[in-house]
Amino acid sequence: MEELKKKVKQALEEGKIHGFLGLKADEGDISPFFMTKDNIAELEKLTAPDGRYSLGKILSRIAAQNPGKAIGVMVRGCDERAIIELTKASQLGTASTVQFGVACTPQTAEKCNCPQPYPSTIDFGEKAKSVNHGELLTKLEQMSVEDRLAYWMAQFDKCIKCYGCRNICPVCYCQECTLEDKNLVPGGIVPPATPVFHFIKAMHMADRCIDCGLCEATCPSNIPLRTIYRHMRKVMQELFDYVPGRAADDKSPLGTLEEGGRLIH
Amino acid sequence: MSADNGFEPTIIGFLCNWCSYAGADLAGGSRKKYAANVLPIRVMCSGTVSPHHIVKAFQMGADGVLVTGCHIGECHYMKGNYMTAKRIPVVKELLGFIGISPDRLMLDWVSASEGEKFARVVTEFSDKIRSLGPSPLKGRVHGRVKEESQASA
Ligand code: SF4
Ligand code: SF4
Ligand code: FES
Repeated sequence: MEELKKKVKQALEEGKIHGFLGLKADEGDISPFFMTKDNIAELEKLTAPDGRYSLGKILSRIAAQNPGKAIGVMVRGCDERAIIELTKASQLGTASTVQFGVACTPQTAEKCNCPQPYPSTIDFGEKAKSVNHGELLTKLEQMSVEDRLAYWMAQFDKCIKCYGCRNICPVCYCQECTLEDKNLVPGGIVPPATPVFHFIKAMHMADRCIDCGLCEATCPSNIPLRTIYRHMRKVMQELFDYVPGRAADDKSPLGTLEEGGRLIH
Repeated sequence: MSADNGFEPTIIGFLCNWCSYAGADLAGGSRKKYAANVLPIRVMCSGTVSPHHIVKAFQMGADGVLVTGCHIGECHYMKGNYMTAKRIPVVKELLGFIGISPDRLMLDWVSASEGEKFARVVTEFSDKIRSLGPSPLKGRVHGRVKEESQASA
């Protein structure tokens, strides 16, 4: 960690980055923090804890406030994938990022069920093995369509429409959210229109979800949201060989009018 | 709702203005016989049919959704139907995964001169939905089966 702090400090002092976004521990509490040269002492609190934050989401806000500037950011595997998606969607504006890579511990990887618990460049930590528990997905895929409906309806019925899943998602960035469209999701009713509410979210995640699992970790009703999005990731890969978060110059087949996948003639 | 026999499906048809709607017109104008289950909604291009419209149709009780557009290469907005062709299979997968048979959604291309084809597509799709029975979302309010329909079931 000392090594990483030094690196960040140097980048700040040399003016390579205007500011730095990372996670800090303050008397045991973990939170995201943004600092510039002016409060460099903050850097002492930098940490790579078990807990996570949607740093990509915070980064897009900071980028909007700092056009044209270089922003340093601490990235784990999931953060890097999120930044790739945000870049594709022009959500970082004219700001650029300088990434400081942190590899997650095997424990964190296991807890997150993370398919790639490390970024492409590692400045701190060591590569842990990928984790891929997909028991529920397999079970659901093998169920009859009737049983699947019963399963999901019971799950969706637990939804209290807190919007936590959307708010935490690093790649949910729209200014106007379809989940708040009164024609699709009438107001004042809980659970929200089923299955419309979750269908919309899943459709929007199909070409964007980077499989970080924050939504599911956030959901107070324990709805296995990630399993739906994982299914959609699989579909996008099978139909179009498209994987969100893979490369910034990939184009989503659902975002362009170009030919792709199997066109039905 | 009583038993399945005599069940007449409600199908929402999204028809593109330039080809399929004209094709439907032709089918009607030339007095072709075809199933009367499709409630047509005219859209400017099949590519404008959002997955939201489709799921909303199911939510409101449609037993099936039919999307028709110009043949590939003939879309009046050049590549609008490329979007349709890519999007519909994804929507089908999602429907299937949350428990609505993907067979309840159908995409086909019908040109302005294909009145005959329009009649056939509609009739065949209506038969398919008839055999699938009423949509499982029918009579549900926010995931729960309505008490009345439970009582009459
Ligand atoms: S796993 Fe959930 S929070 Fe993470 S990118 Fe996918 S939808 Fe968003
Ligand atoms: S976090 Fe869970 S309860 Fe909250 S809106 Fe999302 S699915 Fe519903
Ligand atoms: S105009 Fe008919 S499909 Fe685009």
